[in-house]
Amino acid sequence: MCGIVGISLPRSTSGEWRESERSRIRRMVAALQHRGPDALQALVLDDVALGHARLSVVDLASGSQPMRDEATGVTIVFNGEIFNYLELRQRLAARYAFRTRSDTEVLLAAFLAEGIECVNSFNGQFAFAIHDPRDGSLWLARDRFGERPLFYTYGPSGFAFASEAKALFAGGLVAPELDPFALMETLHLWAPTEQRSAFKGVYSLPPASIACVRDGRLEVRRYWALDLSDDRIDRSLTIERATDELEALLDDAVGLRLRADVPVGAYLSGGLDSSLICAIAQERLGGTLQTFSVSFQQERYDEGAFQRGVAASLGTEHFTVSVGDGEIGQLLPAVVEHTEATLLRTAPAPLLKLSGLVRNHGTKVVLTGEGADELFLGYDLYKETRVRQFWARFPSSRIRPRLFERLYPYLAVSRQSPQLIERFFGNGLEQVGTLGDSHRLRWANSGRVSRFLSTAFVERLGGWDPVEAFLDGIPPELKRWRPLAKAQALELRTLLSQYLLSSQGDRVMMANAVEGRLPFLDHRIAEFAARLPDTFKLRGLREKAILRRIGRKRLPPQVLERRKFPYRAPIAESLVGANAPEWATELLSRAHVDAVGIFDGHKVERLVAKLAAADAPPSDADDMALAAIATTQLLARRFLADREIPSTHLDAVRVRAA
Amino acid sequence: MIDDADIRRFIAETFFVDDFSADDSFLQTGIVDSTGMMELVAFLENKYLIKIEDQELIPENLDSVSNVCRFVEYKRSKAA
Repeated sequence: MCGIVGISLPRSTSGEWRESERSRIRRMVAALQHRGPDALQALVLDDVALGHARLSVVDLASGSQPMRDEATGVTIVFNGEIFNYLELRQRLAARYAFRTRSDTEVLLAAFLAEGIECVNSFNGQFAFAIHDPRDGSLWLARDRFGERPLFYTYGPSGFAFASEAKALFAGGLVAPELDPFALMETLHLWAPTEQRSAFKGVYSLPPASIACVRDGRLEVRRYWALDLSDDRIDRSLTIERATDELEALLDDAVGLRLRADVPVGAYLSGGLDSSLICAIAQERLGGTLQTFSVSFQQERYDEGAFQRGVAASLGTEHFTVSVGDGEIGQLLPAVVEHTEATLLRTAPAPLLKLSGLVRNHGTKVVLTGEGADELFLGYDLYKETRVRQFWARFPSSRIRPRLFERLYPYLAVSRQSPQLIERFFGNGLEQVGTLGDSHRLRWANSGRVSRFLSTAFVERLGGWDPVEAFLDGIPPELKRWRPLAKAQALELRTLLSQYLLSSQGDRVMMANAVEGRLPFLDHRIAEFAARLPDTFKLRGLREKAILRRIGRKRLPPQVLERRKFPYRAPIAESLVGANAPEWATELLSRAHVDAVGIFDGHKVERLVAKLAAADAPPSDADDMALAAIATTQLLARRFLADREIPSTHLDAVRVRAA
Repeated sequence: MIDDADIRRFIAETFFVDDFSADDSFLQTGIVDSTGMMELVAFLENKYLIKIEDQELIPENLDSVSNVCRFVEYKRSKAA
């Protein structure tokens, strides 16, 4: 796992050009030193320069990058893993003479044999760029779910790409400025939509997409999408056969992800998904698995007892990092440095500390359970979708809406009368099943944060509605899918690829040069899940039924019986009051908020005062607002001012010319 | 008479909303979320020294500024 960068400028052969590009590419690689501290290298060619920060995981000795095919001059920089590289290598061996054992060379050989369509045969998590001097093209591609990041910028002076936006700023082709549209999207959908980043002029290559830059033109297209339509469902599958098939696939997906020349550990949250991954990995490793967990000092966030229970039952060597309220605030500036995003949650912070623990143990690679909730209907949002559908068939029912009390047990104990619950959850009941209906309640809840925006900022948006704009951009065929499939598609496009895999995934792991591997997001598993009837996944209001069946013979009963426990971290307790770190007091002050100009300083002052004085736990709305404002203030402070790259990192970059 | 400006001020200050009219449904327009209704109930009980029964927790009593005013008037007239 690594970081990649590159620039493509209008064709020139002057020696002067090469000199200025050497220093530009050096700065870009150095900005990603944290992603790949093992080797920093760049190659300057006639009209492009490519760079790479390497974390050595496979073929430690000879997998160095950028990698160039001498015969054709085709050159590649690659971040991530192609797990089926051994199988691909066998297939390609007749046509290509391999010099190394690395997966990078397999990718290069696959491109030479099949062109860019080779991505379709990759099972992996990757972002790569290939320069082909034969026709002067520069290709970029990203894995199917967006596990590895890739950003780019372009303008009259050229095209540049990088694993993180900070490297683009270091390259100087784009200047950092926050994008108001991206922020508005984040305040509703939890993250910018898939082409955008938090910054103006910095674009994200969407998951499962290919970009081609040639003759000064850029073309982007999707090469894969998960089809969740009814046509895919295999009605002949029995639950027994489906369970066996899925178990075999999952076992193979874990097996492929244990391929590495360094030890592979695993994250253990204490929930069903990561426990299942750990159980399979432990079996395959013959009992040598190391597991890593976050525990919280505050009981209402903590899953420590479940984590210890699973670790003991599987016999893993278990390590825990404990996080107190005060620490979250201390960690948040570094979190924003790496996520380069406004966040509605502080949950990435403990994960930053966790990857630090992993790194200190000398482990570079961990498996995680990410993706199962999206594919196997784990979230409450899917249950809500199902209850609303059930209710909408008989809207005047007094009984049907009471299912929400089963779904959210706190409603039953919190003096929420059935009539009030009905009015809240029954909003727009006549639109049940339309695209976006599943998410409107969540988006409206997070959208409340936009109340804190300054008048001047809101005026810049001219009444633009991020939710409608997002839904307008969804391919029309999705509108014909069943309600749960629509909900899944939206969840995959917003929360998973744009937030969980980035801010809560790649970024907070790579901050400590730790690589995450996600067996559930093996595309064979996703495509298999699409063949299953919904009842194999969400059975009544019981989530992930088929995974529970697989877990039965492998996991202790308390994990199987457990309700989904959302992973969260304290927000208000970490940022205001006794635990408030110095930066928060400063950046959340009225004067500071008004100076940045995005939020309304007076309202923020009142929010901070309300939260500091409260004697009850903060409401979700206030918590989210505080997280969003604090991280936006941090984002402005970190990225809108010039920042020096340490000279030790610059000096460590080896720049060659071809 | 209770002053509806007090109710409006509480809503504006607690939920950080600027524009809403006396008849806007708190829940349907998203001014207040379902947990926010508890904050409203606690405020009314403290400020107007009334006790709100479970069966009174219904939209007709609580789900707009004018409904709240009417309901609190009624509660106070009964207590008096």
